Amino acid sequence: MLVQQYLPIAILVLFAIIMALIVVFTSVIFGPHRPTKKKLAPYESGMTPIGPAVRRLPVRFYLVAVLFILFDVEIIFLLPYAVVIRQLGLYGLIATGVFVVILTVGLLYEWKKGGLDWE
Amino acid sequence: MSLTPLHAIFALMSLFTVGGAVGVVLNRNLIYAAMYLVLSLFGIAGLFILLEAPFLAAVQILVYVGAISVLITITVMVTRCVFCKEPPPRQLTLVAVMAALVMVTLGFVIMTRFGGLTPAADVPADSIEQLGVAFVNPQAYLVPFEVASILLLGALIGAIFIARDDLPRDEEAVGGDDHA
Amino acid sequence: MNLPTLESINLLAVLPVLIVFGWTLVLLVIDLFIPSGRKYWTAWLGILGLLGAAVALAVRFIDARGAAVTAFDGMLTVDGFSLFLQAIFILTAVIGILLALDFLPRHKIERGEYYILLLFTTGGMMIMSMAADLIVVFLALELLSIPLYILTGFARPRADSEEAAMKYFLLGAFASGFLVFGIALTYGGTGTTSLVGVFNQLAEGEPSRDLALVGMALILVGFGFKVAAVPFHMWTPDVYQGAPTPVTAFMSVGAKAGGFAALMRILIVAMPAVGEAWGMLVAILAMLTMILGNVVAIAQRNIKRMLAYSSIAHAGYILVAVSAAQRPEDAPLAVSAAIFYLLTYAFTNLGAFGVVLAVEREDGSGNLLEDFAGLGRSKPVLAAIMTLFMLSLTGMPVSAGLVGKFFVFQAAINASVGNPWILAAAIVGIVTSVISAFYYIRIILIMYMQEGEPQVVLKPALTVALALTALATLILGIIPAPVFQLAKDALLTLVG
Repeated sequence: MLVQQYLPIAILVLFAIIMALIVVFTSVIFGPHRPTKKKLAPYESGMTPIGPAVRRLPVRFYLVAVLFILFDVEIIFLLPYAVVIRQLGLYGLIATGVFVVILTVGLLYEWKKGGLDWE
Repeated sequence: MSLTPLHAIFALMSLFTVGGAVGVVLNRNLIYAAMYLVLSLFGIAGLFILLEAPFLAAVQILVYVGAISVLITITVMVTRCVFCKEPPPRQLTLVAVMAALVMVTLGFVIMTRFGGLTPAADVPADSIEQLGVAFVNPQAYLVPFEVASILLLGALIGAIFIARDDLPRDEEAVGGDDHA
Repeated sequence: MNLPTLESINLLAVLPVLIVFGWTLVLLVIDLFIPSGRKYWTAWLGILGLLGAAVALAVRFIDARGAAVTAFDGMLTVDGFSLFLQAIFILTAVIGILLALDFLPRHKIERGEYYILLLFTTGGMMIMSMAADLIVVFLALELLSIPLYILTGFARPRADSEEAAMKYFLLGAFASGFLVFGIALTYGGTGTTSLVGVFNQLAEGEPSRDLALVGMALILVGFGFKVAAVPFHMWTPDVYQGAPTPVTAFMSVGAKAGGFAALMRILIVAMPAVGEAWGMLVAILAMLTMILGNVVAIAQRNIKRMLAYSSIAHAGYILVAVSAAQRPEDAPLAVSAAIFYLLTYAFTNLGAFGVVLAVEREDGSGNLLEDFAGLGRSKPVLAAIMTLFMLSLTGMPVSAGLVGKFFVFQAAINASVGNPWILAAAIVGIVTSVISAFYYIRIILIMYMQEGEPQVVLKPALTVALALTALATLILGIIPAPVFQLAKDALLTLVG
């Protein structure tokens, strides 16, 4: 049965969860716990915190995330081809080449428009 | 029908999927809702594995759990008020009734009209290889494959056009990222 | 895998769409090196590419002599229907570019992306009209929609444009969701996504039919959004009003024709076995659409909103023709009526938006009905052209609109023997046409009877676009026979 092949992954996931729980809760259970008001305040390099900790991100992060998805999807499309690259030969190269070239034009556009620059 | 570990895994994955989806809808905090979404998407990946569709499961993990969740989290953090509690939606009951109605209708059709479900043929061991061939085979998915690349290019141009900030901004947006 | 042959791929048959996409890619790179302020070069190069595609299309048309062929081993069907619609799309795109040429710099939103995205969505529409597989239909629909979402928000950071883009995107994504769900259920019922396969499975009957029926209903909902049919029309007025006017003009024609192209091919070609079911649903949608569109249009004070409701109403008339195509023997006449109507609507509506554009001011105002007051005195030719378009939208004599409506109702009445739903839809259509005269003719009255000083900016490209559309509206109204013969020969076929 194919599903059983995933048993190692399941064990790994389980192990990760248990590890995380141990790390978080050991100190909670065994550590001393004497809170004061100052101790409970959010930590900001030892200074009194100014303003809320969560702030609005600049929109550039969004651009990075979208570009990440687009090229992620491109990789997903190319993955099955990579498995049979020898079997398909020149024809497969052309068919996939068109796909890649089209997206490379997008990369060129992005580059020239400064989508890759941070500032 | 005896219960096997497979049933238990299915139940767990379904719980992740449905529970996560309910969490997304009912949670008024956008960041938490995004995290519930990740749980739900992960459950779907598990269901794909149970359906013996390893490639789809990999896609689900890479694109959805990996990339889409990052995009959604960042999108939430780009918005004006990240940890604000949204007011509960006004038409929640109406929407719930509508959703239940659609589910009952579809369930009815599937249960009554599809009593004689035939088990699907075994998934071939080389399904990814077959998919690779199908992507470039004109009898299968060559046209969708190439159109998809153009679609991605169009989306790329659109995303850059929307997010580029070489335009005159309104004061709000300028005030928003003063800490950058 | 057997290597595909050149004959089975048949690149020549899809040459027009290949030209559009190929040229767009080249243009995208060229545009990077065109300095801002000279983006009209991109526009003219875009028109050049579209003309190239038009030539390829004409060659293909003469070459084919009405025969339908497939490309890419049956994934795309190149028949008379798709050729006719591709001609409409190319034409709409050319006029869409002409309308934007002066508008964008005047409103300080001139960017090369406008033309690139417009060409992308045009290519999506062209694939849509050829798609013979549900997966291709979906991808083409997305390719049509996504650039349109961006174009709607092209006037950012103007708030109404951004709001319109957001609304359009959310509801459009929702509609795509319905469509995919419908496709999935159809696949579940028939085990195939190819239209030929769906046709064969449905012809065999049980048990695939029930699931495919639900799938059909969901596909209908998805396209109902795209073509702005009631009750899936809620986005239309806001989006049409908020989008930059050339975009509104383009999408009111192009997106509608694209949606109808795929809807007709799916319903009429692949699902005649359940024709009675979808015929009734489409007839009901058509009646609701015509009634609501025409009645609510009366209350509008903004011309773009009014034309939005008018565009909803016109979707209703085309739905009447689609409904009349439910029996295979009635389908040819009904389909030719529908595509001929789309052509007349394309010219008329693009022209009407062209006049709106000429009257619009740089700050985005000038869209109220009152802003047309006095146009008859200050710009008599422009007012006369607008009068022609309004008469054509109503369906008055000597205009393309009358002929289009005539053929639609003729097809509907032909098909209505033993089918009260089509008859009812036809009657509602005729009655609502009379109602629509009220708000169209009100514009004419305002132009000629009220005093006012409209500010009109009429640059050469816009003049060319207006002359082109007005001439076509007039010619189609006076001698429609040759073009209608073309539409009649443009058969929708099942090949595979």
